Amino acid sequence: MSQYTPFEMIAYTGSRVLEDNKIVFVGTGLPIIASMHAQLTHAPGLGLIFESGPLAPVLEMGMPLSVGDTRACRKACYLKGLSSVFELTQRGHADYAFIGGAQIDMYGNINSTFEGGTYTEAITRFPGSGGAGAMAANCEKTIAIMALEPRRFVNQCGFITSIGHGDGSPDYREKAGVMGSGPYRVITNEALFGFDEESHRMTLLEVIPGKTAEYIQNKVSFDLLISPNLKEMDEPTEKDLKLLREECDPDGYFLARKVK
Amino acid sequence: MKQSETSSAIKNVSTIQPDELKKVAGAEKPFKWWGPTPEEARKIMVNKPKSLHDKRTTLKEAVEKRIKDGITIGIGGFVNTRPPVAIVHEIIRKGAKDLTLCFQSSSICPELLAGAMLLYPDHISIKRVELAWWGYEVIGIAPLLRYLNSKSMILIDDYTNYGMSARFKAGAMGLEFIPVRDHGGSDMELTNRGVMVKSPFSGKNTYLVSACYPDVGILHVTAADMYGNCRIFGAHCTCPEIAMASTYTIVTAEHIIPNENIRNFPNLTEIPYSAVDTVTEQRFGCHPGNSYGDYWFDMEHILKFRSASDTFRKTGNTDELKRYYEEYIFGCETFDDFLSKMPYKTLKKLRDLDGGQLTILS
Repeated sequence: MSQYTPFEMIAYTGSRVLEDNKIVFVGTGLPIIASMHAQLTHAPGLGLIFESGPLAPVLEMGMPLSVGDTRACRKACYLKGLSSVFELTQRGHADYAFIGGAQIDMYGNINSTFEGGTYTEAITRFPGSGGAGAMAANCEKTIAIMALEPRRFVNQCGFITSIGHGDGSPDYREKAGVMGSGPYRVITNEALFGFDEESHRMTLLEVIPGKTAEYIQNKVSFDLLISPNLKEMDEPTEKDLKLLREECDPDGYFLARKVK
Repeated sequence: MKQSETSSAIKNVSTIQPDELKKVAGAEKPFKWWGPTPEEARKIMVNKPKSLHDKRTTLKEAVEKRIKDGITIGIGGFVNTRPPVAIVHEIIRKGAKDLTLCFQSSSICPELLAGAMLLYPDHISIKRVELAWWGYEVIGIAPLLRYLNSKSMILIDDYTNYGMSARFKAGAMGLEFIPVRDHGGSDMELTNRGVMVKSPFSGKNTYLVSACYPDVGILHVTAADMYGNCRIFGAHCTCPEIAMASTYTIVTAEHIIPNENIRNFPNLTEIPYSAVDTVTEQRFGCHPGNSYGDYWFDMEHILKFRSASDTFRKTGNTDELKRYYEEYIFGCETFDDFLSKMPYKTLKKLRDLDGGQLTILS
C-alpha cells in the first residue's frame, strides 16, 4: 500500500469529490491542489475561479501562493476583478465552493472570524470571511476542508462566517437571501462527510481504512448521522501521489506540512 | 442592538450575546456615513476641473494635500496583489489620526499602518476598519490585526469580499446601497452595517449593504498616462470601483505611458482620467507585493516585517519592529530610497518569478 500524508489524503479526497465539466471556486492551498489533481485525472473539463478575478487560468507556473498572484491569473480565459467573479457566482456559474475554517457545526456553518473572547475583543482573531462567506452563500455546493478534531467540529460556532444550513430548518437559506444549495461535503484526512437531505445534519459517508465510525464520532463534539452505506475512503495510488507531489505542490508548501 | 426590518433565522443559531451586539458597528443608529455622503461625494466630483491636465506629482505632495485626520481611506489591490505600499509609506511618514480604512482583502498595507499606530500613536492611528479579510495568505495570519482586536483598539466592520467589492461598486455607481446575496444567515448580518429587507418585488428577504465612498482611494496600477487614464493587467481586484467611488484618488503607476497609447486602445482603460487626481510613476511601487507583468511578491521581505510584528505581539518588545520602521520608512525620503535597500539580485529574481506575463503598454 502507498504511504501518504494526511494532507495528501485530503487533497486526493477533494479531487475525487469534484465532478468533471464544472466550475470550482477555490482559495489558496489544498483546494487548488485538489482541483489541479482532478484536472490531471478524471476532470479535464473542470474550470477554476479565483476570487481576485481570473476564470479558468492555466496553472503551469506552479502553485499560486496568493489567489491574486501572477500564477493564478496566467493564461486565464477571462480576467477581471472580484465583482465579476462573485457576480458570476451569484448568477450560478460556480458549482463548487471550496473553503476552510476554524470551526464547523453539524449543519455545516463555519467560523473563520474569531475564537475565544468576544467579537469586539477576541482572544484569537482570524483574517475574516474573505471570499468564503460569499462562496458559501452563492456557489451551488459548498465543500469544506477541516482538520478532524473535537475543538473544530463543535456544537455551536463562536461566530458564523460562512452560512451552512443554519439551524437545519428547511427554509433557513431562503430566509437568508442566498442562492446556493449549501453544504455538500466536508473533507478531513480520516473521514468524508455529507449532509442528510431532510434534516441537513452532518452524515458520515466514508471512513479511512482501519478506523471505525465510533472512532470518528469521538473526534466530533456533536452526534453524527452514519450513512447506511458507510464506505471506506479510497486511498491515493502511487500515480496519484506522484501527481500530487511532482505536479500539484512540488515545493511541498501544503502537502508536506504536519497535522498539529 | 442592531435591529433590521426583517431578519433571517441567524438569531436561532448564533452564540453572540445581546450585550456584545450593542458594541458592533451595526449598532450605530441612526446610520451615519463614515466618509462623505453620496451627495457630498457627487458635489466634489461636479466641482472638479475636468480637463485633461497633467496630474503627475510626487507622492509626498499628493499625500500632504489629501491625507488628513479622521478621513476614510480605500485601499486598492487584493492581499499581496498590487497593494499600494509606496503610498502607505508616504502616509506613515506624514501621519494622520483616527483613520477609517476600507478594503476587501489586504495584507501589508493595513499591517504597516497598524504597526505605525502601535509605535507612534500620537503620529498615526486607525479608528475603524471596514473589511472582508486581513492577513498574509500562505505566509500566515496578520499579527497586528490580532493584537489590535484582542485589546479592542479598533472597531471592525466585517463583510465578505463580495460585500466590500459591491459597496465600492455602489459608490462608483453613485448609489446609497446595493442588494447582495450574501451575509444573510451569517453573524455578519448581526454585526455589520448592512440591513435585511423584504424585496419590494418578490417579498423575499434581501440583504442591503451601504455604499462605500472613501475620502481618498489609494492604488497602484500597471500603467497610466499623465492625465490619470489607467490600465490594469492581471487581476483588477476592486481597483476600478475604488477609484471611481473615492472623492480623491491617488495613483501610483508602474509605467507612465503616452496618452496616444491610451487612445489607440480605449477599451483597455479600466479607470478614466476623471476618476484620478494624482499620478506618480513608481517602479516596484507595490513591493513587496506583486504586479502582474512586472514582478512577483517578495516573500522574504514580507516575512521580515511579519516576524518583527509577531515578536511585538508575543512579547510586547518593540525593538525589532521599530528598527523596521526606522530603516525602511522613516529612514527614507522616497520609495526609491526604500527600494535602494533591496539587493539588485532580489529585484531581478522577483522580476523573473513573474515569468514575463504579457501586458500592453503601447
